[in-house]
Amino acid sequence: MALIEFDRVSKAYGSGELTVQALRPISLTIRAGEYCAIVGPSGSGKSTAMAILGCLDRPTSGTYRLDGNPVDTMGANALAEVRNRTLGFVFQQFHLLPQLTAMENVMLPMVYANLPKAKRRSRASRALEKVGLGNRIHNRPNQLSGGQQQRVAIARAIVNRPQLLLADEPTGALDSHTSQSIMAIFADLNREGMTVIMVTHDRQVAEQCDRIITFHDGQVIKDSRAPGSLTR
Amino acid sequence: MPLNLLENATMAVKTLNANRLRSGLTMLGIVIGNASVIAMVAAGQATQGYVTRQFESLGTNVLFVTPGDAQRGPGAGSTRADTLTLADAEAIAAEVPAVSAVSPEKSQRLRVTRGTAGTQANVVGTTPDYVPVRQISIAQGRFLSPVDNQSSMPVAVLGSAVAQTLFGWQDPLNQSIRVSNLRFTVVGVVASRGSSFGQNQDEAIYIPIWVMANQLTGQEAGKTSTSVQTIAVSTRQEAQASAAQYQITNLLRLRHGLLYDDDDFTVQSQQDLLTTAASITDMLVLVLGFTASISLLVGGIGIMNIMLVSVTERTQEIGLRKAIGAKGADLMAQFTIEAVILAVTGGLIGAGFGVGGIGLMVLLSPLEAGVSWGAIALSFSVSGGIGLVFGILPARRAAQLDPIVALRS
Repeated sequence: MALIEFDRVSKAYGSGELTVQALRPISLTIRAGEYCAIVGPSGSGKSTAMAILGCLDRPTSGTYRLDGNPVDTMGANALAEVRNRTLGFVFQQFHLLPQLTAMENVMLPMVYANLPKAKRRSRASRALEKVGLGNRIHNRPNQLSGGQQQRVAIARAIVNRPQLLLADEPTGALDSHTSQSIMAIFADLNREGMTVIMVTHDRQVAEQCDRIITFHDGQVIKDSRAPGSLTR
Repeated sequence: MPLNLLENATMAVKTLNANRLRSGLTMLGIVIGNASVIAMVAAGQATQGYVTRQFESLGTNVLFVTPGDAQRGPGAGSTRADTLTLADAEAIAAEVPAVSAVSPEKSQRLRVTRGTAGTQANVVGTTPDYVPVRQISIAQGRFLSPVDNQSSMPVAVLGSAVAQTLFGWQDPLNQSIRVSNLRFTVVGVVASRGSSFGQNQDEAIYIPIWVMANQLTGQEAGKTSTSVQTIAVSTRQEAQASAAQYQITNLLRLRHGLLYDDDDFTVQSQQDLLTTAASITDMLVLVLGFTASISLLVGGIGIMNIMLVSVTERTQEIGLRKAIGAKGADLMAQFTIEAVILAVTGGLIGAGFGVGGIGLMVLLSPLEAGVSWGAIALSFSVSGGIGLVFGILPARRAAQLDPIVALRS
């Protein structure tokens, strides 16, 4: 079953002679449960593709169906709900709110989902346990290491049980050892059925995914099974 | 559906608490504004009360006849301001039935000395009726008698401050003093009355009006032309004040040969003066309140500035919140509530300072200022409103931020 369908999706910034074609019309299908890496040099359009995938940006032309729904025609509030319930985001710079504890950061998406307080608490602790942070839940971000902060961010991304987890350079700010433990969490989540798409520069990271989509000049130039997927 | 209020408020308090210095400085404008509104309005109202009490202390059954037409300015209707005479005062006493006592007064600031000791005093030439009309009481000796006036006796009654300055703890009775080289014998001392309209009533001495007119100011000879500055009149009952006012006006027009529209005198009742004073002090309260409100407005603009800066600085936070599902309305509510909490907290602290200022005012001035709960409630809700109004622009900016731009910044 196709979770993501890009039908000749393109993105242009600016207008007239200054128009920059960030994404040429591309068509792409990603099925539920896939573990994808998007790679490519900077300016290749992979970040633009990611923003459109994450419903943070709208395509200039073409249609984008997420789980069968044409999200490119939805209103702002409907998109906010899609981001809240269907999507989870992990960023390179973690983007945790400094004034909140780890627990409160993880509860934030459920606040916007209007879940009852008791439910938020239990779900947030389960998510934090899942990423291996059961014991530091009352620390603030500045009291946590980079790896720990990224775990909090992952817990926050999965706490509303999204179908699709989007990670933008999730290991970009971490050392290789920590990166490995973060990648293990993604692999776990994928094994449990969550669709994971990550943008990365790191070849080694990309090769741990099942599928590698390579962007160049706003186009998909290569779409291949990763060597790692054969051994799993 | 946007978040509920309580949830948003807790979040806002956390955010503001995380940035205490900035929150404090942002509130400062509102603190000062609110404190000044509360203190200024209290000061205005206290002044109003003070002025009213001063008038009432003069007695509400008292009328004042002064030369010149108050409606047209002093001296209008006549070229001189000496249109009232002693003979007018005597005519009022004799012919107006509602009147119980008439006190013609002629005063001047002069130097009063005893040996080497001396002071400037308000020297009042008057008659025995001064006592019932002005409601003074005698601490020592007696006041001027009818005989003193009829035979122009050089006697003086001292205000308590003058007695204190010239005699200290000695007994002033039957001692002599000098006023402009004229020798007077002290026959009495008036009990202390404090000050009225900025003039210390205890820094006065009282002498027979004939002595004042003929020997001190030295201008007149004949009885009919002896001018006076004020004729204070008391009526038998308070209710007769307006009747007396009417009768005196008619009598004086007759005596001065005037038509109704060219009066060269003014009869004012205590009530008239009170009304005039009230309209002045009302304006004072209004002006003070308005001035203070401007600082409240400036405080509100301060909040808007800092909230705008805050939105710019927290672009990433806004982007993140949008990425995890916050709607425009959620962010709108978040930032508006932050501004309202800042303003209301500032308002509370300002009210505290305002009440403190009122306490200080009571301590240091004769004003009996009270804490007006109305003013506190008003400035409290006004500062809340200011937070709301000035919070909206920054909040809208936050709500409209493009999430992708916000996250990349």
